[in-house]
Amino acid sequence: MRRLLRGDMLPLLSNLVSRRLVISSLPSLPPAPLPSRREAHLWYVVPNELEDASLLQDYRELLSPCEKENILSIKGEALKKCAILSRVLVRTTLSRYTDCKVNPRLFKFRKNRFGKPEVERQIGALWVSSSLQFNISHTSSMIACGITVDVPIGIDIEEKQRKPVNNILSLAHRYFSPYEVQYLASFMDPETQQSEFLRLWTLKEAYVKALGRGFSGAPFRDFTIRFEKSTDSVVPEQPKSEEFRIMIDTAFDSENLTANWQFALVELGGSHLAAICMEKDENMSGTEQDFLKLKVWKTLPYVEDKCMSETDAVKNISGLS
Amino acid sequence: MATVAGTAISITARPSRRSLQVFNGISVVKSVSFASQRKSFPSIRSHPATPCFRVSCAAKPETLEKVCKIVKKQLALPENSTVAGHSKFSDLGADSLDTVEIVMGLEEAFGITVEEDSAQSIVTVQDAADLIEDLVCVKSA
Repeated sequence: MRRLLRGDMLPLLSNLVSRRLVISSLPSLPPAPLPSRREAHLWYVVPNELEDASLLQDYRELLSPCEKENILSIKGEALKKCAILSRVLVRTTLSRYTDCKVNPRLFKFRKNRFGKPEVERQIGALWVSSSLQFNISHTSSMIACGITVDVPIGIDIEEKQRKPVNNILSLAHRYFSPYEVQYLASFMDPETQQSEFLRLWTLKEAYVKALGRGFSGAPFRDFTIRFEKSTDSVVPEQPKSEEFRIMIDTAFDSENLTANWQFALVELGGSHLAAICMEKDENMSGTEQDFLKLKVWKTLPYVEDKCMSETDAVKNISGLS
Repeated sequence: MATVAGTAISITARPSRRSLQVFNGISVVKSVSFASQRKSFPSIRSHPATPCFRVSCAAKPETLEKVCKIVKKQLALPENSTVAGHSKFSDLGADSLDTVEIVMGLEEAFGITVEEDSAQSIVTVQDAADLIEDLVCVKSA
């Protein structure tokens, strides 16, 4: 059966506009409860699992005219599919967090002054009551969307096995901070070095995306990500992890590169690394601040949603509470 | 570097510094300015629909061809795939790691250094070729 209609799905609270625009055979999306202040939610889709051409066509209909035009300029079916899925993932995920009162088609986006996409809260006569923050990341084999409320979030995913074309230390010398270069150079085994490089890369990407400044607004060389061994006595309930904390150091005189950010690094689906960065909550005491709560779902919108938290598909490397 | 006698205007041969942010394949031109001309010319704000002001000529065909080859290699695209000047990196499936790797590959191939913010200002393959042409010109001047 192509689409699963779940008994507990709420009816779509449609308005005249959406009824006129959407003559779709798509069922309603299940709503999702908002993340709490310390929580990040992550939804991911695996493009290879979409094989139904008519579903892809239905997905395409959810896109804005501008997005549809962008898709046209992309060459290659696989890339087109990923581009469509990327937009569909953002739109459907956001819709879930409005109790499905806002049809995915209706969201409008703007960019901050550095180009980071943000969602408009006013959509015609509708008003999205929570300040939903989102960030997307994609590889050819997975697309992910992170969601928080009020707090900026940045995510980055990479295939675990990704091997850079260039020499890793050359890349690090060129782009990373001296401390990070030294750290990477300390690994003799090329595979470990590659793995550590990817960890640093995804964490750094997640940070500049959370900041909303991007790569050139926050040059990678200007901040350092490092892994600090945790002392057990400080956090008695620390979950099974490699027992290190992800720390960030920014230059003393840097106004733009702030350090009050918390990080998590997880392995997703056994195949991907995912780094999540969100702003720390100053109201929390001490080391509580350092760990973030993460809930993860795997989705094929309108077909299936699976909660993956607490399963083997989400393996904490560091940073999760 | 040329100076016009009697006035405060000077024109450098440095490539225009454009700051572009690329987020998930969507790029936005933030501003265009010439470092030494800040007093004479305000920074020019532009967006993708308007041409960017640059003191440069378009890249030579052989430069563009070399760039296309490097891009194809980095993105592991088949030899017969279409990579032309107008191809956008994001449309070719390049993510941020691909972009920095391509920049590094271009730096090595042409013996130049591309500054961080210029690197991110590259939207199309033509942009990359033009920037390289500027830098190669400056280097050999």
